[in-house]
Formats: sequence, structure tokens, C-alpha cells
Amino acid sequence: MNEQRKDVLDMLVEGKITAEEAERLIAALERDPYPATSSPDARPKGKAKYLRLIAHTFDEGEPGRIDVRVPLQLLRAGVQLAALIPPRALERANAELDRSGVPFDLTQLKPEHLEALVEHLDEVTLEVDQPDAKIRVYCE
Amino acid sequence: MMPQLVTVRVKRPDRRRIRIWVPILPVVLVLSPIVVLAVLGAVVACVIFRVDVVKALRTGWRIVFALPGTRFDIEYSRTAVLVAVR
Repeated sequence: MNEQRKDVLDMLVEGKITAEEAERLIAALERDPYPATSSPDARPKGKAKYLRLIAHTFDEGEPGRIDVRVPLQLLRAGVQLAALIPPRALERANAELDRSGVPFDLTQLKPEHLEALVEHLDEVTLEVDQPDAKIRVYCE
Repeated sequence: MMPQLVTVRVKRPDRRRIRIWVPILPVVLVLSPIVVLAVLGAVVACVIFRVDVVKALRTGWRIVFALPGTRFDIEYSRTAVLVAVR
């Protein structure tokens, strides 16, 4: 049995959701199934082109679904914006971060570092599995 | 590739659906005076804040050209919103 479907049925057995809500959740899962495993075989081989975020939530008895697909090319272009931040703004941001207890030096954040980070994103799979929410972030 | 079409689809709780297709090129052509003003404004802002104008415009151009393939699909209860750039 599919793991997500089993979780929904478990919630039904535990009385956390009604039969109608369980039916809607299962219907939502069937509309947009995603593999439960995080193995590299779960997605097709080859260079990843998109960063994908899929979240199934169950908030106040209502099922919700978020499906976001962002081209990695867009992230690569976006990190170039880091080079455009004026030094004065970086200094002020550093001061505010320091004051908030986050001693992080933004001037050390170079676009080439961020690009290297984006380059290796396709190997990352993040899964959050909670009774009321399932979130999966991966590249495809 | 430059974005060509933005699709917006809204599903309301009363099951009514709204679908809008926005062809980018004609819209940009119609709004070209505003686009030119916006670019000029961006150039002035770059000069004021001492940011490399060429680098800023190139980055903006790259971001616009990287948009195709972006997709946001959000569904909550009986309401759903989809925005897709092609």
C-alpha cells in the first residue's frame, strides 16, 4: 500500500479526520502522486533542470497542496543579484544580523559560491513527514 | 528562451473556474512606454546606489529569460490557483 495513503487511513482510524476528509485527501494524493522514497532512482537520471517543492498539508480539516517548480536556471540568474547589492547595504545588513545574534558576514557571500551551491542542488532531496504535512523538495 | 505565455487558472470554492492566458510579447509591446520608463528608472537607481548598470541589466535580462518552466500550483480545500510561465 502507498505510504501516504496508509498515513491518511491511520489518521482516519485514530479519529483525527472524518471519512469524507480522508476520501478528499486520498483523491488529492491520486491526482498528484509522488514517490515516497528518497533514493536517487526515484527520479530520472540526467542533469536536473527544475527545483520542485511538493507539499501536502491538512490544515483545520481541509486538505491543501502546494506544487512549485522553479527552473534551476532561474536560481543561477538570481544568485547574480547578490553581486549587485551595494556594499553599504551589506554593511547595514551585517550590523542588523549581528545585533540579532546572527554573526554572519554577507560580504563573504560571493555569486560564485552560490552558483556552486545551485550546481549541486540536483543531488539534494529534502523530505519532511509529519501527520498533518508532507513536504518534499527535490530536483528533476 | 524568452517567456511567451503566462497561464493563470483559478478555481473558486463555488466551483467556478477562471482561466487567463497572457501572451507576453503583445503585452510588452502595448506596455512598451512603461517598460522603457521602468528601465530608465532602474538605470537611475543603479547610478544613485553605485551599482554596475550593465551588470544589473544583464542580470535582469537573464532572470526574465530563465522564467519559462516556472510553475506555482496551490490548492487549498476547494480553491486552487495555478500560475505557469511558458
